[in-house]
Amino acid sequence: MDENSLSVIKLKNILLVTVPDDPGDDIIHELQNKVLNAIEKYESKGLILDISSVNILDSFFARMISETTQMVALMGGQTVIAGMQPSVAITATELGLHLGKAISTLDVDKALDIFSDNFKLV
Amino acid sequence: MATQETGENPIKSEGDIVTCRKLIRNAATAAGFGMTDVTRIVTAVSELARNVYVHSGSDGVMRWQTLYQAGQVGMRLEFEDFGKGIPDIAQALEAGFTTAGSMGMGLSGVKRLMDIMDIKTEINVGTTVLIEKWGRAK
Repeated sequence: MDENSLSVIKLKNILLVTVPDDPGDDIIHELQNKVLNAIEKYESKGLILDISSVNILDSFFARMISETTQMVALMGGQTVIAGMQPSVAITATELGLHLGKAISTLDVDKALDIFSDNFKLV
Repeated sequence: MATQETGENPIKSEGDIVTCRKLIRNAATAAGFGMTDVTRIVTAVSELARNVYVHSGSDGVMRWQTLYQAGQVGMRLEFEDFGKGIPDIAQALEAGFTTAGSMGMGLSGVKRLMDIMDIKTEINVGTTVLIEKWGRAK
């Protein structure tokens, strides 16, 4: 797989989406479409957005995460943002970015815990 | 003050935003900035390059240089476009970051990430945004 592309994996009724380290605008646009289509196709109850590799989160990406979270919510799903790097969290806060209604966790394991607690998945 | 590293990159396409980020990530890392400052600088680059590409209505260019001065290392970057200009800089700097984005919005956030920001703009002539970030030299 191209190191600079999205990975979308179905895990039971969760969708795990991994974002590359420096995603271009095209990939960020693709993210929204891919996620929504996959949620419909697999009837996913939740989305884990693994951004542990991401080393840049600007206002455009943040807006897209916030919008996607909202759209996923309208389709009945919960979004969890997993693995934000410390330097990205610091910068995003200083810049004044918000990720809307998404929940955040330290890593993908803890994101899965949230879903297993809520949905008795595992 | 000796300039160690300098360069420029056009901003004409969406892909140029990523190219600008990569160039500056490499330059800032090579200059010795730590991870958090590199992220601050690269994020500012992303915002300003996108401002040029999406909102200015013209092509533009990013120029950068690495500066060494009195035990400090600095990155100075300039984003120039020849587009519609920012009607009200004061308002653009006051504005929050929630707006879907128009020319000049988001500058207040960039200013918080940087040590220096200077904007020159003229309606229908263009805009130049200069930013600097300084840190302790290695």
